[in-house]
Parts: sequence; C-alpha cells; structure tokens
Amino acid sequence: MAKLHVKFENGDPDKVIEFNPADAPFHHDGRPGSILDILLGHKIHLEHACGGNCACTTCHVVVKEGMIGLSEAEESEEDMLDKAPGLTPTSRLGCQAVVTDPDAEITVVIPRFTINLATENRDDS
Amino acid sequence: MAEASSPRTTWLSVVDRIIDHNEDTRSIFLQMREGTQFKFVPGQFISILIPLGDEVRRRAYSIASIDGGRLEICFNQVTGGRGVGWLFERAPGDAVEFMGPFGNFALDAPPQVETVFIAEGTAIAPILPMLLRAQSSSHAPMFLLYAASDRAHILYNRELETLAAGDANFGFEVLVADNIYERLHDEVHRRWVAADTNRARHFYICGVGKGVLSIRDLLRSSGYERRAVHYEQW
Repeated sequence: MAKLHVKFENGDPDKVIEFNPADAPFHHDGRPGSILDILLGHKIHLEHACGGNCACTTCHVVVKEGMIGLSEAEESEEDMLDKAPGLTPTSRLGCQAVVTDPDAEITVVIPRFTINLATENRDDS
Repeated sequence: MAEASSPRTTWLSVVDRIIDHNEDTRSIFLQMREGTQFKFVPGQFISILIPLGDEVRRRAYSIASIDGGRLEICFNQVTGGRGVGWLFERAPGDAVEFMGPFGNFALDAPPQVETVFIAEGTAIAPILPMLLRAQSSSHAPMFLLYAASDRAHILYNRELETLAAGDANFGFEVLVADNIYERLHDEVHRRWVAADTNRARHFYICGVGKGVLSIRDLLRSSGYERRAVHYEQW
C-alpha cells in the first residue's frame, strides 16, 4: 500500500490516505493515479479549474517527501508550472504527478494560493 | 454594488443566445447579471459547473468573445462527452454557473515581435480575442494559420476576413485537410523553419491532441525560444 500525507498551508488539519496505486482511477479528473485523482477519490478537494488536463496551475502542489515515487514531469507540465505562483523546485501539478511506486510514502503541501493569482491581478483594459 | 471579477467567484449567468456554426459546433452567449464586472485576458477560459447525476463537474471552455456582460463560448459535440452534451441541451433562459477566468495560455501584453497564431476547429476560440487584442494594441506583424477538416468547420470566417482586410499587418490563411496536424506540421516547417533564419517570432498554438505538442517540439528544436512557443493542448 502507498501512503499520501497531505498538509494544507492554510492550516486545515493534515490528512493521510492509504491506497493501492493499482486501483486507479479513483475519480474522473486528472491522470489516473495522479495526486489529484487520489485526493478527489478520497473526498479531499483540490482545485482543478481545467478539469485536470494540464491547462492551468490551480492544482499546484509542493512535494515535500517521496518525489521518487512519482512519475517524472513532462514538458507540458514544466511549461505550465513555469507560470505557477509560488513555484518551488519540488512543485508539481496534482493532475499530472502519478504515484508509480506501490509502496510510496509521499508528503505534499497544498499551497495557500492554489488558484492562479496572476489572473486576479490582470486587467484586460 | 457591482461584483468584482475573481477566479474564485461563482458567476451566475443565463443563456441569452445560441448560434449553430455547423451540424456539430455551437456558440452560446451567457448573459451575466447587470452590473457584473467580468475581466479576462484574451486566451483564458471559464470553468463551467455541470451537474451530472449526483455531482457537479467542472469543465473548461475558452472565452471566444465578451461584449459588455455577455460572454461567448464555443464547443463541438464529442462522442461520450457528457459535459458538452449537457451544454448542447441548454436553451435560452437556462441558468449556467461558472468560475474563472483561468489559464495561462493568454496574450497578456501587446506583441512586440512578429506573432503567429495556429488553430484548429473550435480551438480558434481562445485565439480570436487574442487577435483582436493584438490588432488593437500593436503594429507587429501577425499571421493566423487556421485549419479544419472541412470548410464548414472554419469558424468566424467573416470576422477573420474582416480583420485581415482592414490590416496590412495581419495575414490569414485557411488550411482544409483530413490529416490536419500532419499538414499543419508541414506548413509550420515550410513557413517558419525552412524559409528563413528569423527565430524571434512568437507562436500561440491551440488544438486537440498530440499534434499540438508535435508543432511545439518542431519549433523549439528549430531554434525558437521555449518561452516564445505558447500552446494549449485540448
């Protein structure tokens, strides 16, 4: 069994999910077995404005531990993350980062601003 | 008091008008409440709340145009697409809730260099407001290469021809083909890779599937800066 520890930067209580990656998909948005898929399938909300299709950064998470148990980021994800507010060296898109190790123990932080603040500050004048 | 625009806000709108572009492609115009101040950057999308069974799913639709409080989205039938099926069932007067705007595939500043837009079918939706923005704010040359499987799926043709007719800096060409992405790939190679050594252009590409990534890779591997090649893959 794999384990996903979820911490929330806004102070919400931590969550721990135990799951078998082979049981994916757990929901219908994001790549099957992705962090987004796992969270939604276990009734933990994570923004995903584009429906989990790597077209926005609202499912941005920061991986604190267990990066090796995740799929490698593809160029499309890297391009999208480039534009994510609060980018860190271990940032991933929840919809794209798939848990590949059946015994993975992963810790992610959901940043306070999982919605793209850049859009809020733009002015289409 | 007027509502302020924020992606976190859930907006309530009403279907005001429906236009069928062809047998499987439709625009709906969503009228927002009077006094609503909804702002977006050309290229962005809204996330529509679609009730399916006992849950609400969110699906992204690019904003094709906005006129005051009336916002247009454009979409086509997709086999097995429940979200779009729900949208096709909407009629004038029906309520539609959405969040947004979202998305980073956007023209957030007037182009400073030659800019090429490449789109296929309904993926013209985010490109259209970009063209309008670019034309109204910049004198940099721009070109649209717009492809579809047949002439009926070239949308907004009149608007695009009007744009091109009134602006010597704007070129527009249609490509009708069965193998859309192979042809687009070849055209991109011929026009902007093999034809010259200028690698200062910027590109905005929108379409469906891995063909978009193939064009991205072609341009980036041919010397264009990574950040000069913008794309959205549906």
